[in-house]
Amino acid sequence: MRKIAIASVILALCGGTFYVVSAAEKAAEPAKEAAPKAPIECFESRKGASEITQKELKPGWPNVKCSPTTGAALWYGDPFDGTVPMGKMPQLDIPEGKAVVKPRSEKLALMPLCGVSCHNGVGPKFTPPTLPKDKKPAPVPTMAAMVPDLANLQHGRGRIWCLDCHHTTQRNKLVDHYGDPVSFDQPQLLCGKCHGDKLRDWRDGIHGKRIGEFVSTGKKRWFTCTECHNPHNVQDGARNRGFVQLQPEPSPQLPRGMANADHEKLHPIPH
Amino acid sequence: MAINQQPCAGAAQDRSSECTVPPASADPAANPLKTTRRDFLRAGGMLSMSSLMGTAALMTQSDNANAATEWAEHFQKNYRLMTPEEKNESRLRLERRYSDEYGKKVAVDTTEAQPGMLMGYALNIRKCIGCRRCVHACVAENNQSRGTRPGEKIEWIQVLRMERGKFEQEKMNHGYPEGLGIQVGGNAYTPAGQVLEGQYHYNPKAVPEADATYMPIACMQCEKPPCVKVCPVRTTYREGDGPVVIDYNWCIGCKMCMNACPYWARRFNLTKPVLPKEEMNPVTHYLGNRPRMRGVVEKCHWCLQRSRHNRYPACVEVCPVGARKFGNLLDPESEVSKILERKNVFRLKAELNTFPKFFYFYD
Repeated sequence: MRKIAIASVILALCGGTFYVVSAAEKAAEPAKEAAPKAPIECFESRKGASEITQKELKPGWPNVKCSPTTGAALWYGDPFDGTVPMGKMPQLDIPEGKAVVKPRSEKLALMPLCGVSCHNGVGPKFTPPTLPKDKKPAPVPTMAAMVPDLANLQHGRGRIWCLDCHHTTQRNKLVDHYGDPVSFDQPQLLCGKCHGDKLRDWRDGIHGKRIGEFVSTGKKRWFTCTECHNPHNVQDGARNRGFVQLQPEPSPQLPRGMANADHEKLHPIPH
Repeated sequence: MAINQQPCAGAAQDRSSECTVPPASADPAANPLKTTRRDFLRAGGMLSMSSLMGTAALMTQSDNANAATEWAEHFQKNYRLMTPEEKNESRLRLERRYSDEYGKKVAVDTTEAQPGMLMGYALNIRKCIGCRRCVHACVAENNQSRGTRPGEKIEWIQVLRMERGKFEQEKMNHGYPEGLGIQVGGNAYTPAGQVLEGQYHYNPKAVPEADATYMPIACMQCEKPPCVKVCPVRTTYREGDGPVVIDYNWCIGCKMCMNACPYWARRFNLTKPVLPKEEMNPVTHYLGNRPRMRGVVEKCHWCLQRSRHNRYPACVEVCPVGARKFGNLLDPESEVSKILERKNVFRLKAELNTFPKFFYFYD
């Protein structure tokens, strides 16, 4: 009995010493610092529309988390990061600052050049503007090289052409019903010309996407038309069900002992 | 429990005649002082209890936040029965423990349901492309286990891939009962609409596939939840603003709710959850995404830590096609109310009378 007691006392002492040692080791650990990594960039709704670069808003709190497999944005730390006020929308009465959008104009690399270098509103073609009669865009090699989608415009099934959407003289602007210029950040003013039903649903939050505060009086970031739809190939023939195909995120874990998911495909259709 | 009634206790059925021991008396003279086995055990129990209490006092004072919290949690009430002070105490305890465990400042929110709020969800079934971004957004937000060994990877949302039916001239007369048969499938459609339970391990190069339609399912936050009905410890319940939540501390892990749920919405922590420190989301809610322990059930709660502060749930924010909608059902201006007013809406397994607040709609 006494032997056991002595042994246990020794054991306890050893344990205590070990605990102290391990605690000291633990304290030394956080001294290491993470090396700077290459910037992670991810896309939101569609590739090429609004890429976000990951950054830390505060320590341990990124503005966005990106999927390591597909490069898609998976989580927003701050939904209003890098947004500007949406501006006036007809039939949409939102208090100032409650509706914001992510500006696309700064992402469009050619934007500042469009209006000054080529389509600057001066020159023989513009005074007065002489427009072709058949609404078939003349293939300008420079233009086709810069915007590859133009070679095969998939919008309106041949009924519309460039200047139905782009302003005749101010080429870094879009055009609305009455020929007035519309910013690239407010494409809904233009798209609603034909897609009125979708515009109505979008205004009420049924079509499209809004993030931020869900209550109807809350601040929201609105996704505008072109953040999800590519206006130059909305009806691309290679698509299924109206959407550009994209890589899905990884599938869930298989049950224990199952090598693949072929069992899901083996069930006959019960009729 | 009276000590001296012991001989009668075993013979409860026929106590009327056989029981001859007189009832217990408060008179010390009637109770001769003798140490029975029961008294001895009782005293021993008291002693060990008091020593445990002493340990408790020591442990709650100790620097090990984990041990102190675990000890205090053993004596904590069901969340709904706790007073505001007790809730606050519990919150502070958990914040201390999680901050210690994950090496960053973790906030555990205990915001209550606000009056005038009834959360509702709508999903455009025609738009879903099956990209599973919602599934992984949910994992990033809600601190699920994300290990690689069996049972260590938990996802709350399942995306089911259904085979697409076609309306074809030559199949118009198919699917009707033949002879004396009973109609089992669709009619004029082929296939009837789904392949048993649907596929959810699908993994093509790109989605959406031409022959498929996708149906994400998660907790439907029923108004009459079968899981709440069966919970033997009443740890899962419907909050005032809609979501059905779980007090993880009070969960005994019996998995009755998992059997009861007709939507396969609940997940069980078979192992100790694997949650890397850097991936842990430090903004948590007590009834929502705070890190769980082994042996408790968890499920979707519409990101309570966000929605209680008016923010959209994580899955809504990442859906690339905008198929997911969230709003206040009591507010006629909210998106979900507008959808219920204007679109064709159905609820999954409506025949079970669970009254989900999750609506599927299509344009």
